[in-house]
Amino acid sequence: MAISSLLGIAQRALLANETALGVVGNNIANVNTPGYTREVPDLESDPSIVSPQGVLIGTGVHVAAVRQVIDPLLEKRLLGAETSRREQGALRDQLSALAGALNELDQPSLGDSVNGFFDAADALARNPSGTAERETLLGRARALADELQRRSGVVATLQRGADDAYVAATTRANDALAQIADLNRAITAAEAGGQRANDLRDRRRTAVADLAGVVGVQTVETADGALTVSAANGAVLVDGGGVVHQLAVRKQVVGLDGQALHEAGLADASGNFIAVPGTFAHGELAALARVRDSDLVGASGQLDGFASAIITEVNRVQTNGGAGAVDLDGGSTAAVPLFGGTDAKTITVLLTGADAGRRIGAALSAEPGDNQNALALADLRTTALGALGATTFSGFLAGLTGQVGESAAQARDGAQAAEALQQQLHNQRESFSGVNLNEELTNLLRYQRAFQASAEAINVGNQVLDELMQLVR
Amino acid sequence: MTISRVSDAQSFALLVSRTGQLQASLQTLEQQIASGKRIFSPDDDPLAAAASTRAQSALAALAQYGSGSRFGTDVLGAQDKALDEGEQILVRAEEIATQQASSLLSPGERAAAREEVHGLLEALTAIGNTELGGRRVFAGLAADSTAAPFAAVPEDVSAYDPATAYSGSTQEFFVKVGGSADDRVRITTRGDTVFGGALAALKDLWTALDTNGGAGGTLAELGTARDALATERASVGARQSELIARTSQVKSLTVEQQKALSEAQDSDLVAVIARLTETQTALQAALTAGAEIARTSLVDLLKL
Repeated sequence: MAISSLLGIAQRALLANETALGVVGNNIANVNTPGYTREVPDLESDPSIVSPQGVLIGTGVHVAAVRQVIDPLLEKRLLGAETSRREQGALRDQLSALAGALNELDQPSLGDSVNGFFDAADALARNPSGTAERETLLGRARALADELQRRSGVVATLQRGADDAYVAATTRANDALAQIADLNRAITAAEAGGQRANDLRDRRRTAVADLAGVVGVQTVETADGALTVSAANGAVLVDGGGVVHQLAVRKQVVGLDGQALHEAGLADASGNFIAVPGTFAHGELAALARVRDSDLVGASGQLDGFASAIITEVNRVQTNGGAGAVDLDGGSTAAVPLFGGTDAKTITVLLTGADAGRRIGAALSAEPGDNQNALALADLRTTALGALGATTFSGFLAGLTGQVGESAAQARDGAQAAEALQQQLHNQRESFSGVNLNEELTNLLRYQRAFQASAEAINVGNQVLDELMQLVR
Repeated sequence: MTISRVSDAQSFALLVSRTGQLQASLQTLEQQIASGKRIFSPDDDPLAAAASTRAQSALAALAQYGSGSRFGTDVLGAQDKALDEGEQILVRAEEIATQQASSLLSPGERAAAREEVHGLLEALTAIGNTELGGRRVFAGLAADSTAAPFAAVPEDVSAYDPATAYSGSTQEFFVKVGGSADDRVRITTRGDTVFGGALAALKDLWTALDTNGGAGGTLAELGTARDALATERASVGARQSELIARTSQVKSLTVEQQKALSEAQDSDLVAVIARLTETQTALQAALTAGAEIARTSLVDLLKL
């Protein structure tokens, strides 16, 4: 009995250590797999039995479970940190693009165009009958209009880009929802036998982190291993093996480029759109919506206000407030404005053609050499305008560049902080759940030695049996 | 948080992120050295970006105020020279009037004097028509493509009317030399107000010589006309010195604005280079430490 039990024990030990070696090997193989949680074999001694001599003896070892080393609380905090990291990261990316679009430090800047225009007005005031000065002023006016249109176009493009990213984010969220539901089903099925489906759980965790980055979610694990995922306001997105509500988008307000922007909501079972204002207040989706609907619209409004002030003020001087200044040929400019359009998108120079320069009203009288109106135009450079909040043109631009710079700087700091927090939690997770090769190699040695020893035990059992056989012969 | 256990992925990720950060800092520092600039985007330093925008625009405006002042100084300089010549003409006319006041001169000498006065009239007309860079300095700086402001003196001076000789611009010309709408300096005076009296006095002298009248009677008129030119010259001089003062003021303001601009956007090269060296050392250290990560593995020591 004892000898055959030695063989049995050794055989089970071989199996257990072989399994343990497999677990270690799997850890080593996954040392660089993102989201992988290290596993340990839970070795458990087999139940003792009473020997013929009446004592309790052990019967060996078996692997009770292959357990993931994971801290569920830490995982929840990581999920929240991921939401915040992606939200702040999207804010940073979008706002730094806006700061780049309105960058006054780069050449050519909007400020340079404004300065160039007023430089030309000053030059015209010094030589009101110079045709070169007049052409220069018109050229600078066109450059200013082009620059304003270009900036306005860039802001509109940024908004369209933010909207495209918004729609793409909902698609990604839906992919993640479908994946989570699939994995829920697979995990429930795999764990019905009592074993934990570790790799499936790792994959589900990755999918949930993806989803959390987009919208921010709450999760509850049910007894069967399935994960119930709900949005921040409690709307259930995934329950068990099925997606309850997908994210849906519909066209809502009109964007800066004249095309519709999208609003995210939920889809009911038959695919109808349910508006859920305030539901997606976190994550990438919220950040994209904020930049698209607030920051970019605000910046575009500022540009429009600036362009409108340029158009109004320059035309007021050019037409002498409607009373008419005098052009180079003695004609009245009462109905000859310089700029057309109403905002940054539509601003144009109306004076075109071969003798357009002669139509500029530099004089207020027909006297040769009169430069009074050109002086008034040059004075606009330093005039504080009510329409611009009692600042000058350049003061307004300085304010605008400072403002977009400040939002971008804040977003950058926010993103850094969110990343640092996420990194810290990630480090904690790695420290707890990550694979350390030295440790695994040690374990490899440990189980290998145990395996060798068990094999030796079989050898010993075999020899003992041999000797017994000899006795029988 | 104390880390008591480090995963391999973590140590490599740390190496990657640390060297990545250091390389990004290196690039920024190199960019700062290459460009001499400290900020490249408004979010690098929003306040400095706004200050730099303001300073750029102030510099552009100052450059124009400087140009205005210089232009005005040039025009006033040309006027000063013309007025000086005008004064010389009147001095000569006074000499003639004094000589001709005596009745001892022959008719031939009178006729010669009369011809000289005719020449003086023509010379003063030419001075009134002075051009600077193709523009009439005593006619509101109108372009010389418009008719000359002072009509030519005819051969028969008796047909000349000084009162209607001026047909130039009645608009005086101001240059902008500062930000406010009041910062303007007049740099022209209408030709008829400057030279009207002198032309009339010369015409009267010519008439006196032509009609054998008393040339001495025109001395007072010539004196008044010369005083008028001298007064205008003094005014021109005063405005010239105002413009010169403005020019030097613009220069010092420009220096101040350039300083402000430099403070806002220029990099402190010494500090940046010191930081560059520091960062390079840190990067080297990080890479050296990173190379050690691979070397401290049990894999190398085991013969499995």
